[in-house]
Amino acid sequence: MPQLEILDLKAAYNRQPVLENITLSVEKGEIVSLIGPSGSGKSTLLRVLIGLLPPIAGQVHLDGERIDYGDKRTLRALRDRLAIVFQQYNLFQNMTALQNVTIAPTKVKKRPAREVEEEAKTLLSKVGLADKFDAYPDELSGGQQQRVAIARALALKPEILLLDEVTSALDPELVNEVLDAIRLLAAEGMTMFIVSHEMGFVRELSSKVAFMADGHIVEFGPPARIFDRPEMARTRDFVSKILRH
Amino acid sequence: MSYTLQFGQVTGYLPYLAGGAWISLQIAFLAFCGGMVIGLFGAMAKTFGNRPLNRVVSGYVTFFMNTPQLVQIYFIYFALPDAGILLTSYEAVLIGMTLNAGAYLTEIQRAGFESVHRNEMEAAETLGMSLMQRVRYVVLPHIARVLFPPLSNQYILMTLGTSMAAIFGVEELTGRAFNVNAETFRSIEVFSLTAGLYIIVTLIATLILGLFGRYMFRAKMRLY
Repeated sequence: MPQLEILDLKAAYNRQPVLENITLSVEKGEIVSLIGPSGSGKSTLLRVLIGLLPPIAGQVHLDGERIDYGDKRTLRALRDRLAIVFQQYNLFQNMTALQNVTIAPTKVKKRPAREVEEEAKTLLSKVGLADKFDAYPDELSGGQQQRVAIARALALKPEILLLDEVTSALDPELVNEVLDAIRLLAAEGMTMFIVSHEMGFVRELSSKVAFMADGHIVEFGPPARIFDRPEMARTRDFVSKILRH
Repeated sequence: MSYTLQFGQVTGYLPYLAGGAWISLQIAFLAFCGGMVIGLFGAMAKTFGNRPLNRVVSGYVTFFMNTPQLVQIYFIYFALPDAGILLTSYEAVLIGMTLNAGAYLTEIQRAGFESVHRNEMEAAETLGMSLMQRVRYVVLPHIARVLFPPLSNQYILMTLGTSMAAIFGVEELTGRAFNVNAETFRSIEVFSLTAGLYIIVTLIATLILGLFGRYMFRAKMRLY
């Protein structure tokens, strides 16, 4: 049974369809990357999965159980199991790095503060921020902020991690420190959805790649096929443009 | 000017007037706190509420921001007893000023809500925080930092606005000044002393608020 299964999903912004006929499934420990031109619906798909944009049709099954995106309790339970990291980090500006990581476990999960803090320190150390516990977001570089955001997402021990263009806002020399953190998670067997423009990284890490355009999945398959032997003309066109430089 | 200032006749009333200033401060403080609570819920309703709720809050804000505060208090003072609620003039003034402050503070705090990065709110949502938790941990610390100056101004304005209570016979600073004036007829002395007391009260408030604010800014609003 796939861990996450998306069936004929449809979503819209102000009645304007942005996702249509989205069907794909992910096994536990797989890494699915979503690639495609901007505006193709990659980020929107992640937003739908985490419940920020309710779908207007279709189904999402988590471990075989259908998720009701209209139900608040289901949504909260869902957010225990799925976590998202955003392009712009979206850290809480009024909290230190450590507080950013501990807030959800202590306030949402009501877990004991000391235990959570120990875990948070371990997580921050894991992403290379052992010396930044008490720094505020505006005292950190983009790459450091993004790593705090990853630690924050991991603090709830999610089963699936959604990464929405997590390196797109970073200066080139900071990209690798974030990618390394993700590689570490991949090695631990975390199921991930990755929206990324880092094609080398996508190819190296992904179990499957979905090429999206105009709100549709144009082609879905293992990275070697998508990058080297794409079947669809649009995929071929996109891949050739991306890989040329 | 042929008038000879004779402060000697009124300085004896200074403790009496200072007592009035204390009452002014009380009214301003209570009305401000009440108004902050109303304003918080009003701002939440306007930002997150459904349409009917939004309408109700907008109606309230529009009414209180577009009618004179004096008229509002008169209305409460005379209308509520008809509804069987007997009010002392102090209570009527306090309720009137609280409702009035609630309207202004709804608008000020709404601006704060809107200036919170939508990103941060979304992040909080995806971490499973309820609306109340998002307000408590994300919006309020932000509002406290960004809205501190306009909120302090509102507080000072309200302290001065308490002088309206004198019209209803509340013995706050202006009310007591009326009394002293009626006894001594040294109007200029009485009211210059009164003005001086208002200045002292607001300057002290400004100073305290300023220090508090500066501490908060430097500390960047500690969370817990």
